[in-house]
Amino acid sequence: MPATLLPGGPIRATRDRVTALLGRHPVGLALVAPYAAFIALVFAYPFGLSVWMSFHEYFFTAPGAQVDRPFVGLRNYSAVLSDPGVRQAFGNIVVFLLINVPLTVVLALLLATALNRAVRARMFLRVAYYVPYVTASVSVVGVWLFLFSSGGLVNKALGPLAPDPSWLVNEHLAMPVIAVFVAWKQLGFFILLYLAALQNVPRELYESAAMDGASRWDSFRSVTVPAVRPATTLVVILATITGANLFTEPYLLTGGGGPNGASTSPVLLMYQRGVEQGHPDVAAAIGVLLVIGVVLVSLLNRWLLERD
Amino acid sequence: MAQTVSGASGQVARAVVLFAGAVAFLFPFYYMFIGSLQAMPDTSPAGALPSTGLTLGNYREINAQVHLVRSLVNSGIFTGGVIACTVVFGVLAGYALARLRFRGRGTLFAVVLLVQVVPFQLLLIPLYVLIVRSYGLADSYPGMILPYAINTTAVFVFRQFFLQLPDELFAAARVDGAGEVRILRSVALPLVRPALLTVVLLTFIGPWNEFLWPFLITKQTDMQPLAVSLANYISNVAARAANPYGAVLAGACVLAAPAVALFIVFQRYFTSTNIGSGVKG
Amino acid sequence: MRRTAVPAALLIVAVGLAAGCGSGGGAARKTDSARGPIKVWLSNNKEEVTWGKAMVAAWNNQHADQQVTAEEIPAGKTSEEVIGAAISAGNAPCLIFNTAPAAVPQFQKQGGLVALDSFPGGADYIKQRTGQTADQYRSPDGKYYQLPWKSNPVMIFYNKEIFTKAGLDPENPPLATYDQFLAAARRIKSSGAATAAIYPAPTSEFFQSWFDFYPLFAAETGGKQLVSGGKAQFDTAEGQRVAQFWKTVYDEGLAPKEKYNGDSFGEGKSAMAIVGPWAIAAYGDKIKWGAVPVPTSTGKPAGEIKTFSDAKNVAMYSACGNRATAWDVLKFATSKEQDGALLQATGQMPLRAGLVATYPDYFAKNPAYKGFADQAARTVEVPNVPNSIEVWQTFRDAYTGSVIFGKNPAPDALKQSAEKIDKLVGQP
Repeated sequence: MPATLLPGGPIRATRDRVTALLGRHPVGLALVAPYAAFIALVFAYPFGLSVWMSFHEYFFTAPGAQVDRPFVGLRNYSAVLSDPGVRQAFGNIVVFLLINVPLTVVLALLLATALNRAVRARMFLRVAYYVPYVTASVSVVGVWLFLFSSGGLVNKALGPLAPDPSWLVNEHLAMPVIAVFVAWKQLGFFILLYLAALQNVPRELYESAAMDGASRWDSFRSVTVPAVRPATTLVVILATITGANLFTEPYLLTGGGGPNGASTSPVLLMYQRGVEQGHPDVAAAIGVLLVIGVVLVSLLNRWLLERD
Repeated sequence: MAQTVSGASGQVARAVVLFAGAVAFLFPFYYMFIGSLQAMPDTSPAGALPSTGLTLGNYREINAQVHLVRSLVNSGIFTGGVIACTVVFGVLAGYALARLRFRGRGTLFAVVLLVQVVPFQLLLIPLYVLIVRSYGLADSYPGMILPYAINTTAVFVFRQFFLQLPDELFAAARVDGAGEVRILRSVALPLVRPALLTVVLLTFIGPWNEFLWPFLITKQTDMQPLAVSLANYISNVAARAANPYGAVLAGACVLAAPAVALFIVFQRYFTSTNIGSGVKG
Repeated sequence: MRRTAVPAALLIVAVGLAAGCGSGGGAARKTDSARGPIKVWLSNNKEEVTWGKAMVAAWNNQHADQQVTAEEIPAGKTSEEVIGAAISAGNAPCLIFNTAPAAVPQFQKQGGLVALDSFPGGADYIKQRTGQTADQYRSPDGKYYQLPWKSNPVMIFYNKEIFTKAGLDPENPPLATYDQFLAAARRIKSSGAATAAIYPAPTSEFFQSWFDFYPLFAAETGGKQLVSGGKAQFDTAEGQRVAQFWKTVYDEGLAPKEKYNGDSFGEGKSAMAIVGPWAIAAYGDKIKWGAVPVPTSTGKPAGEIKTFSDAKNVAMYSACGNRATAWDVLKFATSKEQDGALLQATGQMPLRAGLVATYPDYFAKNPAYKGFADQAARTVEVPNVPNSIEVWQTFRDAYTGSVIFGKNPAPDALKQSAEKIDKLVGQP
């Protein structure tokens, strides 16, 4: 290393060159290297292949099988977009998000605020709200079926008020039930995010708000809500992503997206087309459209929540 | 303190709401547990509070069909491997993304966001072909762990956490002449414990509950984690059991119990320090 | 993408070189005659595993140099995706004793299957063992990519106690014609003997039509497949009659529109069920049951009624190296002796010509199975056509929408889905 022998100019020049090339903290590259390698290995390749597939006629073959994979341009996309089933699935997700995201944000923030203060039985309460999150969907779906089927506990308790057709086979209620189920299931995680954010809100802000004679509700609105705004952005975006990737619930809770496709999700369709029916090219086109949609919605969310 | 101003009535109301909510959240689990103990399903409201006819028969049936210990060990290896990789490499990546400036940071962060958006079903089969055909990892723990090895949401949470730490902490260390690696070791890592709770919790549930991937990658039953064994049990054996519904619920309870138990342990351990005291102390 | 594709390609080339074969044709012929250890997959239900392990042990006893290892795969709806993924990854076993006929066109298109005709006497072996029914299992190119192994011909199972309670004759129930069937169903419902007369799964999975529409369609048409000669067959008077029958069942609430979470027949919620012979072992002692063929509009005599076979077959997968061994194991596992053992262990019907005459002792001892064995001679398989699963999903979507949920008139739905299906089977 000749540069270290000569003090002054050359060192700085080398450093500038390194900075220009690698950034101010080149050590960062070393720190992210394992993660970057992981991404390249298990994400970039399959994702790249999926995007490529969506522009070709493609199906998976045994090693050594000779098949043509002609470029078909946007054919897969136009097939997908002109399919009423696909359009319905995307519409279903919009319904889902309109119910699930506001419900999640409001409940998570309120419960986190309350939990942040409650001292008594805090542990019991936390566990109660997190347990659905740590349990596999496969496990809890069974109970929801038991609760919401036509002869289930909910309808028995409602008596004459029970909806007809029942919840899970009612085309207007199936998606809302799923949205509530997912909100219930995921809430614990979002409460956790809010709790972490709440602990970073300086006490003094509440104290000065109280000094100004603000009520509890006022200080919630004027101090808490703005202070946790970054967390809210995160919660909204993560809830949107979770919702857009909805699969297990319609697969298990409504018997494959029933009734009559009223609770099909795009990912469920991808599974049907790509895995069951052997058209991964069409499935990939649905996937790419879904990813584009979610990215757009996330950017919109961010812009809406963080502009001032 | 602000709380004393509005007095006791607000506190009581809050407690009532919180406990009512907690009961509503726990009820399906209670119902699942009760259902797993019933010899015959009973959906009437009275069935939620049974006094007689409870039996462990459903559990005995699972125990006879599924090698529970072996499955638990497999689940432990799978989940433990994922958590270890995620914590070690996730902290490094999260810290670098939050606090260091280097070339490619923006691109990598965009990729972090993209990874979360892409549904796993889209990648499933290409990934399977890659891992089995190109890497030859069928029927092995590395093959099971690899796609989950570093949880991207965890990287995201670590980044968010390091972003929220006050700049002064880092500025002070830099003034002292500490290098970036030393700052990470002596300033950032000691503070990271609260974020670990979030990360371990959210990383844990993925592999613990995952069914499809380990199921695709393992065909030898002695390699299969609990979720796979139980899903097989539920889909094939339970339907023939004396009370299929009870058998399914019992399977669900067996899968849920370790997750809930571990969660309770973790939760107690990690909340002993919170972010506020760490930063101020 | 390219970065990983190149090593993969190199690997394949290297493997090819290591095999020491420059010429392609030679390699194929060599694996066809190669012998050595092989792997097979069994369906993981208890009875089949018991049979499979005994079969493998018997083989291994006689062939120390050609050991067979058996692994289990789920019997349910996930088994096709497991097999499909294994084909693409090149780690499928030699034989799978759980290959669904509906999935064969797709596996074949993937290049995942070995035509059994390539073995000396292969096609003859299949034709001799299975008889005429074997034709249904031939692929459009005229070859056999599956060995028809065993069927679960479906019939109507009914609960005698519920029938008695509803005032119906439990020994000779009036279930032959649609009118009789509907009258009996109404009686069951109105008498409160059971909450449902019959309870097929009203859900959207592609295979559910095999257990409601398809058996009745096979019976009504005297054995037509859903698709034949490149054309959908159900947009016809017969198809409409079957659809109308089920529509009446659903419209009148004789069958619920919501999936039952449990076993509706086993728990006495439903008076009837459409099941295969497996049901005898499942319900044998719990319920006093009877079995009759599926109904037809005119009440054809039982001896003329065809039904859906619900068969599971054995196929050989192209990843197999020691194919000569695999072929011998396949013949061994479907020999008269092993078929008898399968029948004994599982009650499922080997797809063998003259079943009852071949195992007279078994059917003398187990008369309950004889009805199913007779029915096994008259079964209809799913059509072996391109895009088979998509065809069934298209049909199922039209069926659930119109027949079950009444969104649109059944004739329109059948017509539209028939047009769609004609296009699907026309695509390669």
